[in-house]
Amino acid sequence: MKSREEEYREIFMAEALEYYDAMSRHISELEKDPGDEKALHELFRLMHNLKANARAMGFNAIGEVAHRMETIFGLIRSKERTFSGSMVPVLFDGIDTIGSLIRGLDQEDEITTDPEQLLENLDLLVQGEEPILEGEDKNADEDATRKLELSDLVYIQIKKLDHLLNLVGELIIDRDRILTLSQEIGNPALQAAASHLFRIADDLQYSVMDARLVNVGSLFNKFPRVVRDVAVAEKKEVELTINGQDIQIDRNILQIITDALLHLVRNAIGHGLETPEERQRAGKPERGSLTLSAQTERDDVLIQVIDDGKGIDVEQVRRKAVERGLVSAEASRTLDTNAVRAFLFEPGFSMAKEVTDISGRGVGLDVVKLAIDSLGGQLRVDSILGQGTTFTLVLPTSIAVKGALLFELEERSYAIPLMHTDSVVSLQPKQLHVVGGILMARLLGENIPVVDLRKLLHNGDSPLAPALKAELVGRQDIIIVNYNNRKLGLIVDRFLRQQDIVIKPMSKPLDMIDLFGGVTLLGSGQVCLVIDVPALTRLFLARRP
Amino acid sequence: MKNRILIVDDSFYMRTMLKNMLSDAGYEVVGEAANGQQALEMASATRPDLITLDVILPDNTGLDVLKGIRQEQPDVKVVMCSAVGQEVIVNEALESGATAYIVKPFSEEKVLEIVGGALQNQGTDSSEA
Repeated sequence: MKSREEEYREIFMAEALEYYDAMSRHISELEKDPGDEKALHELFRLMHNLKANARAMGFNAIGEVAHRMETIFGLIRSKERTFSGSMVPVLFDGIDTIGSLIRGLDQEDEITTDPEQLLENLDLLVQGEEPILEGEDKNADEDATRKLELSDLVYIQIKKLDHLLNLVGELIIDRDRILTLSQEIGNPALQAAASHLFRIADDLQYSVMDARLVNVGSLFNKFPRVVRDVAVAEKKEVELTINGQDIQIDRNILQIITDALLHLVRNAIGHGLETPEERQRAGKPERGSLTLSAQTERDDVLIQVIDDGKGIDVEQVRRKAVERGLVSAEASRTLDTNAVRAFLFEPGFSMAKEVTDISGRGVGLDVVKLAIDSLGGQLRVDSILGQGTTFTLVLPTSIAVKGALLFELEERSYAIPLMHTDSVVSLQPKQLHVVGGILMARLLGENIPVVDLRKLLHNGDSPLAPALKAELVGRQDIIIVNYNNRKLGLIVDRFLRQQDIVIKPMSKPLDMIDLFGGVTLLGSGQVCLVIDVPALTRLFLARRP
Repeated sequence: MKNRILIVDDSFYMRTMLKNMLSDAGYEVVGEAANGQQALEMASATRPDLITLDVILPDNTGLDVLKGIRQEQPDVKVVMCSAVGQEVIVNEALESGATAYIVKPFSEEKVLEIVGGALQNQGTDSSEA
């Protein structure tokens, strides 16, 4: 954990070097065109910032030089001095000195630049007097030995980072293969080299993942404008709070959720928050509150859109689900609040037309859900009627690798992303019951439907035959998956292990089978299909007896 | 209820320091803006109780931003932040309705004293380094 002092120092250094580069550029522009007011304003502004920051850090030499330089650029701006004559070399020298003072901060043993002569000259310039320039020789000498400094920052196209990440993915697969082979061969030297390769590849993978991280703020900071425009259009008054701009996430993940977040924010203002009059009647402050927040939770990033509007009317959603034929009236009564709210994410499930003034949520939420699913993330909604609604996006920090649970079915390996696995249990047949042709397990007070994965995968288009308890022999290994607040138990042959996997998209024509989100190669060289839990859950709901 | 503060400064370093100082003291920092345009947008969207406003910004002066904010939100408290040497702008800002000002570099105590004072509407104060 870095101390705050260290953090401040790092930020200061990075920003100061950035300022120095920009100042070097702008002073050259000014030399070419002394009337360049934009360059002049930037020089003035950057000096001003550098002065303030350096003084706050206690770097007085930098502060002193920057203070005088700022004053002179200020005088040039107000046309009391002109950027010409003997002033020019002194100001160039000033910026060079600032550069070496900043770099000197990092190198304690090196002799730091003494800016005394420079400060004197800058003072003379401020007073409108001639600076004392040293012999031409010294300057020429200095210029000849000057080192060229390149910026420490590189801009890179995301496409190149994508390519790099793909290569790392391939490398990881080969690495696991080599590691397995080396164990089979049993040569100690080979094993040592393989385990070294393992660590290096791991480091490489995390470095590449790290290089792709950007601040959530780069997206969040676009929202004040959006909120303002939508609020005006909807005649709502909205107070926006933005938290966690510094949380880091993979740039492509941020790209993919952009539309989803836009949608949720528009929805929150349009359908969640009430008009000022309605709010007043409900005894709430006239101005609605909307919060965009990001935080990390273990390896995931949580992004939340929170409003204090009217909330979701669960009974309304329940009725609507029955009308739409998504659930029978009888079954709907047994569903808990979470299960009912999950209907909001069903394709085309809109509350908008008929019940705008009551709830009005659900407009295109399935699109949001799809975007989050494509990332292997989760979308949750919590709401209290009359008090507000919170949408939570649980996103992976990186798209490169995912934690997965490996299991065996009919002598083949499969993987299920951990993001969707709830728990793993081994149950005796007597702990399972058949209700309405469906196996049910009661776990921690919850009734969870259980299905034999083998049957689900092999059943074709026809509905599943009613489950029979007599078919269950011995302990059953069951993986409980969770999607959209719905739990489902999958009976498999054998649990294998937990492992980080690199998921590769399936090639045609396999990609027609939408039950699998991709494939991964195991160290043994075996191809392993990755189960797409959302698709599997939908299949179960469609085929249940 | 926590007082809500918007920070406007073009230096990331300054924003970080201010944010830490203010949130440690129990204020809610509702956003950070790095230029005048962002400042106006965020002020309008976040409706803070108080804004710390740097006098020199890349796209316009803190003074223009102050006037823009004042037009829309006459009641928000605005604390101008400036390093020494910009007293002219600070004076003009106070005449244009700034609540108080802080001179950089500032100590944590001074920032909290001035921000706290401004929120109780005690008028202007300074913090010569």
